[in-house]
Amino acid sequence: MGRDGIAGLVCLAASLGLLAATRGLPDASLLVPVGPGFYPRIVLGITAALSALLVATDIWSRRRRTPVAAEPPIPANYLLVVLAFAIVGLYVALLPFVGYRLATFGFVAALQVTLEPPRNWKGWLAVAATAFLTTIVTYFVFERYLSVLLPRGRWTDF
Amino acid sequence: MYELLLAGIANILQLKYLLPLFVGTLVGVIGGALPGVTIALTIIVVLPFTFGLDPLQGLAAMTGVYVGGSAGGLITACLLGIPGTPSAIATTFDGFPMARNGEPGRAMWLGIWASFFGGLLGGVFLIGATAPLAAIALEFGPWEFFSLFVFALSMVAGLTGASLTKGLLSGAIGLVITVMGNDPVMGAARLTLGIGFLEGGIPFLPVLIGVFAFAQIMTDIEKMRAIGTVGIAERIPTLVVSQLRVIGEIFSRPFLLLWTSFIGLLVGVLPAIGGSAANMMAYDQAKKLSRHPERFGTGTPEGIIASESANNANVGGSLVTIMAFGIPGDIVTAVMLGAMTIHGIQSGPLFISQQPKLAYGIFAAYLVAHVLMVIIIAFSARPMLRLTTVPKSMLIPIVLVLCVIGAYSLNNTMSIVYVLLVFGVMGYALVKFGFPLAPLILGVVLGDQIEINMIRAIMTDSDPWLFFTRPISGGLLAASVVSVAFALWQHHRQRKRGAPADGDTDF
Repeated sequence: MGRDGIAGLVCLAASLGLLAATRGLPDASLLVPVGPGFYPRIVLGITAALSALLVATDIWSRRRRTPVAAEPPIPANYLLVVLAFAIVGLYVALLPFVGYRLATFGFVAALQVTLEPPRNWKGWLAVAATAFLTTIVTYFVFERYLSVLLPRGRWTDF
Repeated sequence: MYELLLAGIANILQLKYLLPLFVGTLVGVIGGALPGVTIALTIIVVLPFTFGLDPLQGLAAMTGVYVGGSAGGLITACLLGIPGTPSAIATTFDGFPMARNGEPGRAMWLGIWASFFGGLLGGVFLIGATAPLAAIALEFGPWEFFSLFVFALSMVAGLTGASLTKGLLSGAIGLVITVMGNDPVMGAARLTLGIGFLEGGIPFLPVLIGVFAFAQIMTDIEKMRAIGTVGIAERIPTLVVSQLRVIGEIFSRPFLLLWTSFIGLLVGVLPAIGGSAANMMAYDQAKKLSRHPERFGTGTPEGIIASESANNANVGGSLVTIMAFGIPGDIVTAVMLGAMTIHGIQSGPLFISQQPKLAYGIFAAYLVAHVLMVIIIAFSARPMLRLTTVPKSMLIPIVLVLCVIGAYSLNNTMSIVYVLLVFGVMGYALVKFGFPLAPLILGVVLGDQIEINMIRAIMTDSDPWLFFTRPISGGLLAASVVSVAFALWQHHRQRKRGAPADGDTDF
């Protein structure tokens, strides 16, 4: 099974699961001819049908497809993507605990170092300067000028 | 109308509106000029800054980004041969050869003035057509609105991406997202998965930011360390040219300017297609209609004029759709719609009659942004080339911080940031599985309206055949079927020609 088939199966499972979750929704009342489950069931039914179609199309097209010499793909750095997601996840998780300023400084520095490790002290200085300036500028613009109350740290009170 | 427009221009020329408009246009030009940074990503970055502004200030800034971004791509397209945005791809075909032939100033200024005049023609349409179209939309009942939204969604699903099934499924996923939370009539909690804050539903802006920004940024990260940075030319010759000569060159081809601007407008009005298709379609038309098609690709002015006039006229067309019908034609207008919602403004047929000052303020901002765009590019083209050397490793964390702030500042709670992260992962996964994101976004934007109008229609008259028998509603549903059939035919034709069935997805 190809990626379309896998995607279709995931969507099919999710839509059927959610469709099952609509069973407990109340039916139509005297005032309203359609209940809260009416529209979600239509939408989830369509989603399930399209997902099944995607799976079927994938299986069908794989049977019919003659193998052709594929061009060498551009190597994708998935490890870097996983690391980037992990750093963003950690940033979001730490925001309420260490506060916006510390978390943002750490996040900007860590992600820069991960994406392009500095080769000399100038590189490290640029990383620190970018992290510092991003934190300070966004903090002052949003907190002071645009009145956005950025998260304070529960652990740090900062 | 003209009094309102003049009042709007006078209003927008006040410093408190002119400043955000100028900054928006400048940021748009920079975002447009940076290869890999799209207008949509630029407007997402600008979004949180607009929350603290008054509605017209915020929307002026966003209009500036849209106009500036649509033109900014021509700088790198002409001078480096790298389109700053997808809407400047066709500009590269003749702009760069002309620059290499020793006329970089002529190439760039042809692009700037073509953008300016194309944009102004788009503005004439925007100002002239929005009110009449809105008046038509005012005649619509819930059946017609339901069918109109279904038509918009089917069109986006059919025309974006390589697979029709995936396009439709992507739109359906968007609709599923909107059914989570309390239902609009009885207030019963639906599909909340036991998570308390989902009872209020999922706001579409964090979904939009998460899905789009993460998908683009993570796709860029995938390619990091595998590709080199953009190199800038060692020495750019002078960009000074006779402006009258360049403008004369454009006006000596009036039909080309009008026709390609019209193509841009039409593509803008129709949801889904966007500036990237507008410039290619206009370039293709210019080549077909030219007496010397063989000159295309060698540095002919027609190629630059066609591409740039179309992509800026496209902006006017997109704004018409959002202002008259409340339907965002692309990600940029979806963000603008989100910003309007945050300010408590309902976009749609009543917008122009209920908020004339704001509507004409946007028209005025659109027109003034074109003047600002010319001035900004004239003075900053050279320094902007230097900006292309800013490493992605520096830009990406800053953009992500602004995405987090953008989501957080919607209601100052972390739960919205978690939504952003979840949809960020989902957006990247969808792109990796080859799903187009535009139908999903439109599904999320229109989902509530589709449901509400469907229920209103059934509550008014329970006969479901009314959706088909009322002329406009039936016509729109027929158009939906035609658009899906057209997409099927198009995919079938592509497959016959040997094009891959699955391709990379973009907007």
